[in-house]
Amino acid sequence: MKLISTTFLCGALWLALITGMHGSLNLKWFAFKVPGAAAESEKFRIGFLPVTCHLTCPVTDFINQQVEGQSSFEPVRFSGWPELKEAFLSGYTPATFILAPMAMALREQGVPIKVVYLGHRDGSAVMVHKDSKIYRMEDLRGKRIAVPNRYSNQRLLVFRALRNAGMTIKDIELVEMPPPDMPAALYSKAVDAISSGEPFMGQTEIDGYGRVLWLTKDVWPNFISCVLAVHEDFIKNDRATVQRLVDGIASSGKWIDQSMDNRMDAAKFVAKNYYNQHPRLLEFVLSKPPDRVTYTNLALRKPDFEEIEDLAREAGIIGGDVRFEDYTDASFVPEASAMNASAYEGLKGGEVPPRK
Amino acid sequence: MNRLISIFLPLSTAVIFLVVWHFLVRLSGSDLFPTPMEVVRGIRELIEKGLLLKYIVASLFRVSWGFMLAVLVGVPLGLILGWFRAAFQALNPMIQILRPISPIAWIPVAILWFGIDDTAPVFLIFLASVFPITVSSMAAVQNMQLVYLRAAQNFGVKGPQLFRRVILPAALPQIITGIRIALGIAWLVVVAAEMIAVNSGLGYLIIDARNAGKRYDLVVAGMVMIGLIGLVLDLLIRQLEKFDEVKWGYGQR
Repeated sequence: MKLISTTFLCGALWLALITGMHGSLNLKWFAFKVPGAAAESEKFRIGFLPVTCHLTCPVTDFINQQVEGQSSFEPVRFSGWPELKEAFLSGYTPATFILAPMAMALREQGVPIKVVYLGHRDGSAVMVHKDSKIYRMEDLRGKRIAVPNRYSNQRLLVFRALRNAGMTIKDIELVEMPPPDMPAALYSKAVDAISSGEPFMGQTEIDGYGRVLWLTKDVWPNFISCVLAVHEDFIKNDRATVQRLVDGIASSGKWIDQSMDNRMDAAKFVAKNYYNQHPRLLEFVLSKPPDRVTYTNLALRKPDFEEIEDLAREAGIIGGDVRFEDYTDASFVPEASAMNASAYEGLKGGEVPPRK
Repeated sequence: MNRLISIFLPLSTAVIFLVVWHFLVRLSGSDLFPTPMEVVRGIRELIEKGLLLKYIVASLFRVSWGFMLAVLVGVPLGLILGWFRAAFQALNPMIQILRPISPIAWIPVAILWFGIDDTAPVFLIFLASVFPITVSSMAAVQNMQLVYLRAAQNFGVKGPQLFRRVILPAALPQIITGIRIALGIAWLVVVAAEMIAVNSGLGYLIIDARNAGKRYDLVVAGMVMIGLIGLVLDLLIRQLEKFDEVKWGYGQR
């Protein structure tokens, strides 16, 4: 059987060839290992999305690499909430940045998840098309609004705005859409308003077809969308590592908010090394206005979460029995006075060193 | 002359397609959807960054493993199901239930089982291609012309000999056709399989470009590369049909 033997031979050769190429090009099998560096497998993984709500994750990784030579964790970028959540559930990412109401709902469903720190404050917006006649919440009556996920705080934000305007959810139409698809949807007027984390909202402004209906900082001061959450076993087994992670996030958050230069540096190295976006997007949303999104004041405060719980119940995504004490572990939050901004001195000459 | 025409016709179709594409984008006045030239520039940017080869290799790696595993499982399984009636009755309903489930629906399961490294996409590609291969091998045995079997019986051929000398050769042309279709499907689901947070591959390129703001030129560049490689894969797998063992099974038009 010439056919079968030839096929098997060619198939085996091809598999060996492509596996070798994949190993050397993408998996760095044959790369020179730096002596003393932590092996990849010893690092734990943190899930994040390319949004400003998760900015401290890549910033901390980058600063660790620059200051200490290597990072204790490996940031894993996802494209959507479901995949990010599933990777956490499977144990692949023992720590993850996640939507606060999603963490609450998971906890309620029996997942051993603990919120240990906030990711950011503010940093979301509701955008409408610049040609539209929508200037207030009331103008959205009968219109279609896109939110990232049913568990997103952007959806709760809409509920809060509806409540303030004396409207109900029946007055509008909510659709779920991955944030990266939102700008195109608004451009083609497939939806009347979009709401998600930055930089996808700022993108519509830069490209000239989006108009800010409101920024979260104006309608819901100290808005929280995403939090840093870890698996309970991670806390049980390795408190020191969790503490180091929270300290790192806290100090790099403080570093970002220290000066506009730091923000512009962060925009450059995150855009280039982690988000694979054009830096002007992040530069825009981190500076116009400067408090569009902030990374200090990230301690867990019960009243903030109770307000989210209240709205989440109204939105029907959690039941009655979530308790702040169950889904959070505030013991890692560093004392505000003891917390120092990271010692990183910023990019030298505006050049971004490659990610290790 | 015939040869010239066979090159000229598809080329002119492609040129007309590109020109229409270019002018439709211009007419629409949209600056989101890219023109063919912008896509070419996008591809060149990927080459300069050294990403294109990496991504192609990563995608081919996953498709090769998923597809080869599917052939190794699907062909023997199909032959068994085609020959043994009891096995067919026992397993066929299950196969028909699993077959129409899209690989996208399997993504959550794949992540929960395998995490998000290369195993999960390989599993998804395996799932997408194993059923067409199984079903076509099964049908190939079931639809075999009875005259071959009767002739074999007359000569007293039995057991493993019957399988090796009669059944397999008779079924081979249809099996190869099934494999060819399955390779197309395996390559088709590469985008869906790489939606999982792997960090390389042509499917990843498309999803990454959506994250990158207004980089729809890279989205279309990914689509173009997937299409072109699909064409090459099909041309390669067609070579299998030229072997003497199976040539008799295909129409001679």
